[in-house]
Amino acid sequence: MIALKIAFRNISRQKKRSFLLAGAIAFGMLVITLLNALSGGVVENIRVNFSHALGGHIFIMGREFSGEGRMIHKIRPDQRLDQLLDENAASIRGFSKRSQAVPSLIFGSKQTMHLLYGVDFEEEDQLLESLAVTAGSLSGVSREGNALILPKPVGERLGVEPGETVLVKLETLSGQQNVGEFKVKAFIEDQEQFGLSAAYANRSYLNDLLGIGSQEYQMLNMFVADLSRLDDLTRVFREGLKSPEELEESKFEELEEEEALLEVSVGGVPLDPMMGGEEIKPWEGTRYQVMSLNQIMEPVELMVGVLNQVGLVIFLILLSVTMVGITNTFRMIMIERIREIGTMRAFGMQRREIKRIFLLEAFFLGLLGSAGGILLTALLAFILSKIRFGADPALQFFLRQGQITFSFSAASILINTALVLVISLIAAYWPARASAKLPPVEALSSHT
Amino acid sequence: MAIVELEKVTRVYTLGKAEVHALRGVTFAIEKGDFATIIGPSGSGKSTILNLIGCIDQPTEGKVIINGKPTQGLTDKVLTTLRHETLGFIFQSFNLIPVLNVYENIEFPLLLGRNKMSKKETKEWIEYLVESVGLIERLDHKSNELSGGQRQRVAVARALVTRPEIVLADEPTGNLDSKTGQSIIELMKKMNADLNTTFIFSTHDATIMDIADHVIRLLDGLVVENSKNRVRAGGLS
Ligand SMILES: Nc1ncnc2c1ncn2[C@@H]1O[C@H](COP(=O)(O)OP(=O)(O)OP(=O)(O)O)[C@@H](O)[C@H]1O
Ligand SMILES: [Mg+2]
Repeated sequence: MIALKIAFRNISRQKKRSFLLAGAIAFGMLVITLLNALSGGVVENIRVNFSHALGGHIFIMGREFSGEGRMIHKIRPDQRLDQLLDENAASIRGFSKRSQAVPSLIFGSKQTMHLLYGVDFEEEDQLLESLAVTAGSLSGVSREGNALILPKPVGERLGVEPGETVLVKLETLSGQQNVGEFKVKAFIEDQEQFGLSAAYANRSYLNDLLGIGSQEYQMLNMFVADLSRLDDLTRVFREGLKSPEELEESKFEELEEEEALLEVSVGGVPLDPMMGGEEIKPWEGTRYQVMSLNQIMEPVELMVGVLNQVGLVIFLILLSVTMVGITNTFRMIMIERIREIGTMRAFGMQRREIKRIFLLEAFFLGLLGSAGGILLTALLAFILSKIRFGADPALQFFLRQGQITFSFSAASILINTALVLVISLIAAYWPARASAKLPPVEALSSHT
Repeated sequence: MAIVELEKVTRVYTLGKAEVHALRGVTFAIEKGDFATIIGPSGSGKSTILNLIGCIDQPTEGKVIINGKPTQGLTDKVLTTLRHETLGFIFQSFNLIPVLNVYENIEFPLLLGRNKMSKKETKEWIEYLVESVGLIERLDHKSNELSGGQRQRVAVARALVTRPEIVLADEPTGNLDSKTGQSIIELMKKMNADLNTTFIFSTHDATIMDIADHVIRLLDGLVVENSKNRVRAGGLS
């Protein structure tokens, strides 16, 4: 206990020196903690923004082959799918069945390409409420077959007004050019902060132009109720939608295509990059592709993981520099306090207690540095999160409502603190041992 | 009863190829309760002898017997415990622990081992010592806030706190002016009389020697005088 008291008070003996050492540790801690928290926040934001932009957490697409062997992306009304939606209704917060195209919108001499969703407005009753109308009105859209809802910037680019008609030029699923007329019903606020800028039309009308049946659609998007169960639910749909032939195929442990594309290895088998390029044999009927936000996030998380590792390397480099500093300082301290060591030894302090004083001092120093670093990080994070970043849409994707967010992980802070403490102890170990081994008579007769 | 015995003790330092014979066969005994002084010119071996008795150094040959127990061949750990239980130290340059205040410095040796006293007894005992050395108003001062004489008074109290049988003091007055030095020696003598603690101190100063009841005079590593005259416990008059 006396060792604890002395070690603790020894820290403030040379305030400037302790401050510098603790400051170096704090700086390392600041770098790593801020980086971790920033990347954690970015991942969360990208996840949220992705789910907004893509309109869901789970995405189901259907693929079938036309008579000419052309792959067509569409989903036909399917009892299996409806049943799965029914069975898992409790886990699903909402879903939408949409068609989509990126047509050329033409008005007079002006032309622009934009994402267009075909929506069943009756089914997606919440969508209309969520749209912020700037001109025109949304009432009765579902009854006017060729109604078109345009983001305001697109409308401005075309120079069109609500009530006027635009031409829509697109390619049908079988590859033919097709043209339709849409009546602009309303302008809406662009939702670009979510990375989303889309026009909306009635699905049946868009389907007509795309050359698919009015009850068919191209993508089923689902929001789940509990994100932690996202993978489970994805699996339920993926397995549940497999055709008997696919089930047969997967028995031979062939990689499912979408998994093979998105994962580096499956079950420990490294992905052969050639497999993606192989010809796919046409199949009968519809095959489903079920993807989840987690899969889409994988490369993002991989990148962030690499970033964090780079941060860790910087942290370790900073720490090892600091470690040299600590070792040298403690060597100096040993010489400075040599008479004290001799005195304590004379009065009956055992070697291990002398060592303990040194190690405890290093421990406190590390603790002080870590705490300082964490505090500094919190302060800096607080200040940074107050900054509003302008309208740059590319940046918005990483932010939450235009602001940086930080996600602190207690576990990684604890691990980094532990790392600091261990390194401080290692750094002080040799001087501590040397001090303990000093013969008391030499320590006492030293003339420093 | 002899509390310290030296038998044919030699101590040879090797400095490279040269050998320094600091002690060349020293034999004497000190009785319990003695107020003993070791005197001699510089380099005569006073510090060497006190280091040997203090169990922080070992003789090259001969025996050092403390309290009937030979100290040779003991491990560092055992010697450290022996020091803690039997010995107290006073140094020429005071050597207080700078981060501890007066009370904590005095208490310090008690915290290094098992303390048989209760909390209350300990407090009373330390307060008694503080009062004896006249520093009751300086209890929470750090050593850099004290004068040399005051520091040495703290050191005297610290040396006595574990109720050691022997207190060793190597030139306790060496860093003090003669008047202050005199008062420190008088304080030591008083504690020697009050607690019956054996004191062994070294000095250059011939006038201080008069207070001692046992004088060991060294010259070139040999005892040239070992006189146990003096009136026991009456040296002050
Ligand atoms: N660590 C050492 N290494 C080599 N020689 C030493 C060492 N310590 C003491 N000596 C030598 O041993 C002899 C006795 O030294 P010691 O310190 O015991 O003398 P002293 O009587 O205490 O002198 P002083 O009055 O100056 O303190 C001296 O010649 C000294 O140079
Ligand atoms: Mg000496």
